[in-house]
Amino acid sequence: MLAYIIRRLFYAIPILIGVNLLTFMLFFVVNSPDDMAVSQLGQKYVTPEAVQAWKRKNGYDLPLFYNAQEPGAAALTDTIFFTKSLKLFAFDFGRSESGRDITTDVSTRMWPSLAVALPTFVVGIWVNICVALMVVMFHATRLDRWAVFVFVGLMSISYLFYIIGGQYLVAKTWKLVPISGFNGEIQPWKFLLLPVLVGVIAGIGAGARWYRTLFLEESSQDYVRTARAKGASEIRILFRHILPNALIPILTGVVVVIPTLFMGGLLIESFFGIPGLGSYMLDAINAQDFAIVRAMVFIGSILYIVGLILTDISYTWADPRLRLD
Amino acid sequence: MNSTTPPVMQVSDLQVEVAETGEAILKGVSFELRAGEIFALVGESGSGKSVTSLAAMRLLPNALRITGGEVRVGSEDLFDLSEAAMQSVRGERVAMIFQNAMSALNPVQTAGEQVAETLRLHTRLSGEALRERVVQLFSEVGIQDAAARYAFYPHQLSGGQQQRVMIAMALACEPDILIADEPTTALDVTIQAQVLALIRGLTRSRQLAVLLITHDMGVVRNTADEVAVMYRGEIIERAPVDDFFRNPREAYSRRLIAALPDLRHFHDSPADEALLQLDDVKVHFPIRKGIFQRVVDYTRAVDGVSLKIGRGETYALVGESGSGKSTLGRAILNLEPVAAGQITFRGRAIQALNRRAMMPYRKQIQVVFQNPYSSMNPRLTIAQIISEGMDSLGMGLSVEQREARIAALLHRVQLGAGFSRRHPHELSGGQLQRVAIARALAVEPELIICDEPTSALDVSIRAEVLDLLQELQREFGVSYLFITHDLSIVPSLAHRVGVMQAGRLVEQGTAEQILTRPQHPYTQALLNSVPRVEPT
Amino acid sequence: MKPLLLWSDLLIYLLVFALCLFFLRLRRDPQTREHWRQVFSTRLGMVTMTLILVYVGVALLDSLHFRRALEPVAGSPADEVFYDNKVTSVLDVMLGGMGERFERTYSAPFALDSFEKQDMKDDNGHTYRDFPPLEHAGYHLSQPEQRWADVAAKSGVALLWGVGISLLVIGAQWLLLRRSPYPWSASWVTQAVVICLAVWLVSISRYYHVLGTDLGGADVAYQSIKGIRTGVLLGTLATLIMLPIAVTLGVMAGYFKGWVDDVVQYLYTTLSSIPGILLIAASVLLFQVYIDLNPDFFSVGLEKADARFLALCFILGVTSWSSLCRLIRAETLKISQLGYVQAAHAFGVSHQRILLRHILPNVTHIILITFVLDFSALVLAEAVLSYIGVGIDPNMASWGNMINGARSELSREPVVWWTLTGAFFFMFVLVLAANLFSDLVRDAFDPRSGTGRSVA
Repeated sequence: MLAYIIRRLFYAIPILIGVNLLTFMLFFVVNSPDDMAVSQLGQKYVTPEAVQAWKRKNGYDLPLFYNAQEPGAAALTDTIFFTKSLKLFAFDFGRSESGRDITTDVSTRMWPSLAVALPTFVVGIWVNICVALMVVMFHATRLDRWAVFVFVGLMSISYLFYIIGGQYLVAKTWKLVPISGFNGEIQPWKFLLLPVLVGVIAGIGAGARWYRTLFLEESSQDYVRTARAKGASEIRILFRHILPNALIPILTGVVVVIPTLFMGGLLIESFFGIPGLGSYMLDAINAQDFAIVRAMVFIGSILYIVGLILTDISYTWADPRLRLD
Repeated sequence: MNSTTPPVMQVSDLQVEVAETGEAILKGVSFELRAGEIFALVGESGSGKSVTSLAAMRLLPNALRITGGEVRVGSEDLFDLSEAAMQSVRGERVAMIFQNAMSALNPVQTAGEQVAETLRLHTRLSGEALRERVVQLFSEVGIQDAAARYAFYPHQLSGGQQQRVMIAMALACEPDILIADEPTTALDVTIQAQVLALIRGLTRSRQLAVLLITHDMGVVRNTADEVAVMYRGEIIERAPVDDFFRNPREAYSRRLIAALPDLRHFHDSPADEALLQLDDVKVHFPIRKGIFQRVVDYTRAVDGVSLKIGRGETYALVGESGSGKSTLGRAILNLEPVAAGQITFRGRAIQALNRRAMMPYRKQIQVVFQNPYSSMNPRLTIAQIISEGMDSLGMGLSVEQREARIAALLHRVQLGAGFSRRHPHELSGGQLQRVAIARALAVEPELIICDEPTSALDVSIRAEVLDLLQELQREFGVSYLFITHDLSIVPSLAHRVGVMQAGRLVEQGTAEQILTRPQHPYTQALLNSVPRVEPT
Repeated sequence: MKPLLLWSDLLIYLLVFALCLFFLRLRRDPQTREHWRQVFSTRLGMVTMTLILVYVGVALLDSLHFRRALEPVAGSPADEVFYDNKVTSVLDVMLGGMGERFERTYSAPFALDSFEKQDMKDDNGHTYRDFPPLEHAGYHLSQPEQRWADVAAKSGVALLWGVGISLLVIGAQWLLLRRSPYPWSASWVTQAVVICLAVWLVSISRYYHVLGTDLGGADVAYQSIKGIRTGVLLGTLATLIMLPIAVTLGVMAGYFKGWVDDVVQYLYTTLSSIPGILLIAASVLLFQVYIDLNPDFFSVGLEKADARFLALCFILGVTSWSSLCRLIRAETLKISQLGYVQAAHAFGVSHQRILLRHILPNVTHIILITFVLDFSALVLAEAVLSYIGVGIDPNMASWGNMINGARSELSREPVVWWTLTGAFFFMFVLVLAANLFSDLVRDAFDPRSGTGRSVA
């Protein structure tokens, strides 16, 4: 088990290097620092001097891979690749193009993100499983067919409409909770209630439908027939036999997401004005702040890989047939 | 065989149909079960025997519907009970054992827990008493070290032990009636004999009324008291076992009985000239462990096998699942790398040839696989399937010649030329296996490796395919390496037999030697467990 | 008139052609035909397919672009023709100039006056502040009170026309298909509804803005319809770019195993570990920088938007192949173990031939299911990306841009709800139809999701 985890961590290294190279290619080779400077400065103010000044200010005035002017090791370290890409491995994210320290920003902003994403995630799964179980109990009846139709309908609505609709209905017409904003001091749950609610409802269609399929797949297995032959009731079969077995496929889809909850949701945070990493990314995209985007790509990849490892570990917990080695 | 005792369960005029189309699956099935007796329901796949048992327990899938009849247990008709009342009948008064215990047991629950669940549902036992009762049941059904096995998950148990857990689960609440649906089909023959002996013993000691569903006449012969033959949803013949085997009335029953092995007539070895020779062949699969996945050991799937197959000879390679016999077949075909030893075909070593150098031998060594459904590409027509080898091995035939050859081959395997335009899914298992044989024959091979070619087929069709193989051998002088787990088909087929266990050949010789004077204890065990009908 | 061929126009026609070929080829195989029969023997299958075809048809009509010749200006040489800088499509013509009736700013559906007050001068030259009347709505009415009676009357006429045209269209089909075993009547009902709606919309919008106008005064109904092309094209083109990558890599990894498999697995793990939206956003932004720095490449504004659109399709395609690749790899691994591939090896069939003849045809069901499923996912993704600002060029009509433009207006009193409604309706119908259809396709083609009819 431990050997397995260590091995997986070793596998993570080439993947992170790949991510790093890919982002480096995207940001510095496909698109040269000069192009970036021009688009940041705006067409009107482009002079060679201004471009140079911008590059110097943001640390882009170095060669890409090899600095021939510097002696010794500095020839390799005084390069864009080293300062902008390799330093990510040391969790040194540098400064954003507006001059703020990215590491500080990230560490303060991840908590509001988590405050929204975690309850959405937990409540969402719980609600989806409950709804799916209820539908499965009525399998092959009219109710089941309509439920599936409703699920597909819910899935077909853009996430944007859930947010807009939720904001409008709950906050504006019913005047229950603040429409947006985040304030840690005064009853934070009030601000969280709406985004969590919207997040959960938006996920029901796809989630419940998927779980329903998983449960139905399990319910056609042989061991379910055995349980019936024992004299177990349908409810008992559903909860004691089908649910534990269906957990295994559910885990694949779910556990991998857990670490990325830190990243928050782009849309929900920007709509509800939550100062998390999601809105941080969105602002960075809109401001074309590539330093932040680069850092977030790296963080996201690490969290995803952690998620993959967690998935494997959770498998062994849910499925006694599996052993990692 | 005292048929004056009142029946414990009486099924009368049971009718089942497909809910959507109204097609009849069961057309009025009636029988009764008596305490202390085993009633066997025999039939081939699709005859409706499993549907009978599921219908009696009201466990049919939604697609099927019960349309008539009654199932009396004591004074009650099960079809009149509420679903809740039915749940107290299942497991408590009528218990079931299913085929393939591996999938019939819940994979994420321990074996002990699953047996305990039955007890919890129908008795007041709990805590330590419950646990003790389960352990006691485990030892009663012959699970060794019963207390420790309580916490084992199904995958940690062997196939035989899994089936024993199923039996323990069924017997937990001391039911009057036991329905066993193909309880031994997925098991190796030696284990099969043990499990059947267990069921038989329990029937007598507990005075159970047993409904045994099976396709295997050998099982019936050795286990049942009374037998009924099912064919297309009806019981066509019913008799006490001894009468039935001595004097079967229906032609169909006679055919089923005829498929049982005859251990008196054997083939002589025709030739001594070696076509294929294996010398100390080993096939190993690496086992990797640790952080760097270093190879720490090997699974010795084939561990030093030497054998010789003569021209026009059938060599039967017998062994239970996991003994390495199929791996050996694949190694001969050069589909699996050989770790050591030498494979010589017509005097030339072929085990290390690369793709290109192997090509001439591909024409001479062909293969027929076990599962006829997966060995044909569903997207191709039969003609395309048969001509594949001719195309790729460059037989140099014109289009007309090829068409003619396909027609001739189809004709030879007793399918009409009209089959050439059909697709695999339109054919039955037996027909597909004939196509597979035609496909192999198309390139005029000298050796065909038959990897369990009949084990997916029903008994009556199995005999036809085996006969066809023998005819073809006489006609074309082709040799067979016949890989099988089923000793009973060996006498009618093989000249020489090799018995494989755990990657090694433990014994080999002529069919007569092996089947009448086995030397190795494993061969003896295998042979003892082969069900047979003593001629009268 | 001068035809203008945008790259996306060309691609979509090529794509439709390729798809038709693909389906015709699939028809040759009896099992596949059986699966399709299962899909289309349901009424739901017929209805959703009809709806999808309507959307595709609109998208195709909207992909035939041309530039109108301008009236010769007095004084210029007669043989020199100038072309309008605005690009028109065949669909625009069919909509009867719906897109050319601009107002000043917002107006509600069927409104006669603008939504915002404005300084105006009365006959005496005094300035006063009121809702100005709309230029293109209700101008034929003498009394504003007549409005609803007029709408009803015009709707009645339009519906009569609609029913008439429907009868013609359906009658022709009935003659051809009355003996067909498929439930065509379901499709005909859908067709009739769509035709009636379309006729009604085109004829009423000559006199009113059925779904109001947006901030820039453009007709919302027109914008929503123009959004169809964007949605449909994005859904298909991105999938088209993704398919060859996913299929080639997946099949190779599953078949050759060993280091090929390692490399492919490494590639898709790396790619899927990057947060998708960031990768897409970054790529689109970089491309936008490129467009901005090279403005001379594009002669019309639409071409610039089109380039960005294609880049978006490309980026979405290149970043989204990993999940399909994983599926195909797993399926190929399974198929490679099957008897028929083993038999092919025993016959010495070449790798290339095994891949083309045995493996590829047996993974097409996965490709097909993914194609239909991804289509709806991409339509939804477009809205989100456009909202974030890395989607469709703001000059190009798209539902995402409409939502983006409208969301801030919800806080107004009274609420500007119609832009969202338009985008919502047209998007929802398409995505719902595609989702329901993909469910049917999966039920029919996926061997795993059998109908549970395992007769013992």
